[in-house]
Amino acid sequence: MSVTQFLEGLPSYNVNNFTKFHVDNNNRSPLKRPSVYVPTKDYPSEQIIVTEKTSILLKYMQQHWDKKYNAKKRDVSPQSHEPSRKKPRTENTRDTSRGDYGMSMNDF
Amino acid sequence: MSHHYVVTAHKPTAVTSCVTGNFTSPSDLNLIVARNTRLEIYLVTPEGLRPIKEIGLYGKVAVMKLFRPQHEKKDLLFVVTLRYNAMILECISDGENIDIITKAHGNVSDRIGKPSETGILAVIDPKARVIGLRLYEGLFKIIPLDKDNYELKASNFRMEELQVHDVEFLHGCANPTLILIHQDGNGRHVKTHEISLREKEFVKIPWRQDNVETEASIIIPVPSPLGGAIIIGQESILYHDGITPVVVAPPVIKQSTIICYAKVDPGGLRYLLGDMAGHLFMLFIETESRGDGAEAVKDLKVELLGEIATPECITYLDNGVLFIGSRIGDSQLVKLNQKADENGSYVTVMESFTNLAPILDMCVVDLERQGQGQLVTCSGAFKEGSLRIIRNGIGIQEHASIDLPGIKGMWALQVAGSNQDNTLVLSFVGQTRVLSLNGEEVEETDIVGFASDQQTFYCGNVVHDQIIQVTPISARLVSAQNKTLLADWKPPTDKNISVVACNTQQIILSTGSALYYLEIHPNELILKGNTTLDVEVACLDISVLGEGTTSDLVAVGLWTDISARILRLPDLSEATKELLGGEIIPRSVLMASFEGHNYLLCALGDGSMFYFTLHKDSGLLSEKKKVTLGTQPTVLRTFRSLSTTNVFACSDRPTVIYSSNHKLVFSNVNMKEVNHMCSLNAEAYPDSLALATDTSVTIGTIDEIQKLHIRTVPLQESARRIAYQEQTQTFGVVTARIDIQDSTGLNPARPSASTMAQSVTISSSVGSLGISKSSSSSLLTSQVPDYGQEVEVHNLLIIDQNTFEVLHAHQLMQQEYAMSLISCVLGNDAVPYFIVGTANVNPEEAEPKQGRLLVFHWGDNKLTQISEKEIKGACYSLAEFNGKLLASINSTVRLFEWTAEKELRLECSQFNNIISLFLKTKGDFILIGDLMRSMTLLQYKTMEGSFEEIARDYNPNWMTAIEILDDDTFLGAENSFNMFVCQKDSAATTDEERSQMHEVGQFHVGDMINVFRHGSLVMQNIGETSTPTRGCVLFGTVGGAIGLVTQIPQDFYEFLQELQDKLSSVIKSVGKIEHSFWRAFHTDIKTENSEGFIDGDLIESFLDLSQDKMKEVADGVGMTVENLVKMIEDLTRIH
Repeated sequence: MSVTQFLEGLPSYNVNNFTKFHVDNNNRSPLKRPSVYVPTKDYPSEQIIVTEKTSILLKYMQQHWDKKYNAKKRDVSPQSHEPSRKKPRTENTRDTSRGDYGMSMNDF
Repeated sequence: MSHHYVVTAHKPTAVTSCVTGNFTSPSDLNLIVARNTRLEIYLVTPEGLRPIKEIGLYGKVAVMKLFRPQHEKKDLLFVVTLRYNAMILECISDGENIDIITKAHGNVSDRIGKPSETGILAVIDPKARVIGLRLYEGLFKIIPLDKDNYELKASNFRMEELQVHDVEFLHGCANPTLILIHQDGNGRHVKTHEISLREKEFVKIPWRQDNVETEASIIIPVPSPLGGAIIIGQESILYHDGITPVVVAPPVIKQSTIICYAKVDPGGLRYLLGDMAGHLFMLFIETESRGDGAEAVKDLKVELLGEIATPECITYLDNGVLFIGSRIGDSQLVKLNQKADENGSYVTVMESFTNLAPILDMCVVDLERQGQGQLVTCSGAFKEGSLRIIRNGIGIQEHASIDLPGIKGMWALQVAGSNQDNTLVLSFVGQTRVLSLNGEEVEETDIVGFASDQQTFYCGNVVHDQIIQVTPISARLVSAQNKTLLADWKPPTDKNISVVACNTQQIILSTGSALYYLEIHPNELILKGNTTLDVEVACLDISVLGEGTTSDLVAVGLWTDISARILRLPDLSEATKELLGGEIIPRSVLMASFEGHNYLLCALGDGSMFYFTLHKDSGLLSEKKKVTLGTQPTVLRTFRSLSTTNVFACSDRPTVIYSSNHKLVFSNVNMKEVNHMCSLNAEAYPDSLALATDTSVTIGTIDEIQKLHIRTVPLQESARRIAYQEQTQTFGVVTARIDIQDSTGLNPARPSASTMAQSVTISSSVGSLGISKSSSSSLLTSQVPDYGQEVEVHNLLIIDQNTFEVLHAHQLMQQEYAMSLISCVLGNDAVPYFIVGTANVNPEEAEPKQGRLLVFHWGDNKLTQISEKEIKGACYSLAEFNGKLLASINSTVRLFEWTAEKELRLECSQFNNIISLFLKTKGDFILIGDLMRSMTLLQYKTMEGSFEEIARDYNPNWMTAIEILDDDTFLGAENSFNMFVCQKDSAATTDEERSQMHEVGQFHVGDMINVFRHGSLVMQNIGETSTPTRGCVLFGTVGGAIGLVTQIPQDFYEFLQELQDKLSSVIKSVGKIEHSFWRAFHTDIKTENSEGFIDGDLIESFLDLSQDKMKEVADGVGMTVENLVKMIEDLTRIH
């Protein structure tokens, strides 16, 4: 296949584009810069991008613990009829005592 | 304390990214170009690219992508800056006005994390479901593009692959699926990851291909229905869709490395590839039917299309036209042709866009000796290497010159039915002479109807094929055909005519205080009005404003009461009177229309000029402003250039007045003095100007009207250092070119400045000094490079300052790199020398152990090596220091004496540095810029002949440039794109305090500064100015920007600080990045608020505000809009 065939039928979105282009022989327009946009109107952003602050290690532990806890809960709940709610309580208290991390962990 | 003003004189020009899409409206095809911190939006039209808007961001663009959310009709722009500010921008257009809406924004940086070594990568899912960001090693950030949530929650995914070279989203996948190239100990591999947005994890690996080519670096995702991806390597191209890989290794791509691509067809069968050597290729996917109806890739074909500027990015626009964005050369608009030209190229360049980047070195020279600097930069690299001559103001290219002293006025005429100017009328005291232009021949002639024994006040073609000549005695109407007198009008009193103005149909003239208004009719002049003013008339104008052929207004400048007045025609009643104040009489008055705004300009006898907005209907004047153009009486004349009207102010500092962005701009012309001028459009001198000086008439053409004018001298090899030698009228330029080892030895890759010089000399590769003495490096000079290896060859070029011809090239030894260059005189020797500091570069050594100082003299068209001194390391910089030579060599700074035997002899050294990269001197003081230990100040003790360390900045700054501002103040630029000012405190009480430099100013420039030079691009100290700036240091950046730093007094600083605060709240940031965040001094280890610097770019944007916003700002700082505009306009004139 030749290069000419390669270059056949290049995409055209508007057939007129670049048809009236003429080269300025003097090359007097080396730097056509558009006018500068100076916005003074405040448009509030529709959305803000927030980035998760939890480190992936904490996130991993959280997920891991969730899985283990959920699994344990399934394991434990059928047999254990004793009112042994000690373990989850300690987890909860530890959570709240951790402040920031506790908050962000609760997000997930 | 330290107070500085920093401003950009020339915005960055390196193109870092470009995209095409429908941004301004669903039907507009736009090109968006990113240049450092600026985005430029263009519209594709039948005439070519039309500039729409330039948007400044408070951040350097790292990645820019267009994407189209589902159910949207136009594209949105996603940008991430180098400091991790992400934004989604939408363009709302309302006719000519556009607004950029920040739809979403936020900072996506992590508090901890190692920035990825392969830079910031950002990709958007083809269905616009998620954005993926590769910012830190081991992590991948995903931003789900939910329409409904106010918060777009970016979350980190663990990515086990380190060293990710490229990443993309695959097309046609049910869940967003990444494909990436990563590297480990075994080589490079391609891997895919499917993303689960619910689990916030990569859930599975649909397919992978281990051990692809070791240099594979680019992924091109192929659109549906084919899907899969193309992997571009150094020598091979691979297509893979998870089922069957197809690999090709076309020989054409091996020469260089492919660095960018552009998709041609929306279906994705054709792609354009660009390589580092500037080759443009087309990649074509050949498909075959797979049997089940679907298509499968059968083969990949690659063809070379031709040569383009070294690309950084390519984008397909329309109808075979591409935009080539270049970082190290001029960007281009190119067209692909189906037929090859005589050189076998399928590419034609339609337009080039000037780019100064990267500026490696520069010098400020005053070649025309007019007190105005020009900047000559070492710009570009490799085949795009060039010198650029940057001049403020407008150049006149002289085409002809006639010696004629004493000209008092000058006009061009069309005589005898010509439709071009063929006659030049020159007025002298007591006589008028006529020159006829016949081709390039000029001969004296006469026009019978003219009074040639009188001085002419005005002359010109008028209606009904007639010519008017006004002398002190009368106004004479002459036939343009047979040149006979048709009418002669004399003032009714016997007084002489003193002042006159005329357009093609109307004449206004005065005899002292009497004014007469005449109209021009066939064969007669008819008096239509007259009046007598209270004082004498000094100057008049009756120019036509806007469309139409007659004027309703007359502008008058008057003696005695020093006023400018507007009178109505035909009754000459007064519309307005404006007292100018002072005692200097108006000498020239002109009504002119620029960009649809009407102005009255009134120049005074002392070279200053008032200008007003003129309301055409009421004749009222408003917004009075004053500017100083020169020091002598000024004459204002209009002329046309490229279909716009401009005004030429003739004086001792000739100036062109034009309008840009609806503001008047005053740009000086590269001529010493012009007394009179007229436009001239003759057969041999089309679109020209005739300019009269005290002794001659010059005919020339004028440059394009713009503020900074750039001329390019292509070298086609990298220019690294430049030095100007006034005595020999030459530039010394150090360059590096690439030679390739082939069967016949080392040969230049392409013809370039050093191979095409008028004469060439070569340093003996054996070296006359003891290279053979040192053990390890002795081998390397005789080593033959491998076949096909690219080798850098360094040259010293001697270039003529006027013609920029390369007069001589001196080639250094193999593996000897020229690191520094100065021009100086040494000791008692009056001969000017070019001194080159070099390094022998051995890839096996951690740092160069050997180098040379070479002393050359250029004289009688010959380059003579006067002296050679072996040194133990690389000479990073050189400076002349009290008649001696100062050199920074590896970690040391050494001072050499120039002996009577013309040899360099070491006098003393200083050792306390890591690598001393830069040197600047002032008096006995030496400032050293270190690789990583900021700046150190030394003093040379003349008596002891030794250095003493005076003070040091103990902050760990990695320096890129330094400069001494004054005895106590030092300016530095470092490699995280900041600059800072250090001060020494000589008055401190303890030694310890004295030995510390204090950082008193810091500022984020956003671009890497390579060079500082004292000097200015504008005339110094002209007239009064409201802005007390002191000194001027220019800087050149990697992005191709030129900026300046100047010192300002404390009260002015405090005022500007207040203004800057006000402006930063009035001007809304696109992307909602705070101005204070942007300008804060920021490195890997600290971020501190900017201090001691005023952001001149923000201050100057005040002038682009609407009137009501200007008022809001002015009220905020307790000034009138008028005064504030004047002050800021004065500030803009320092660059």
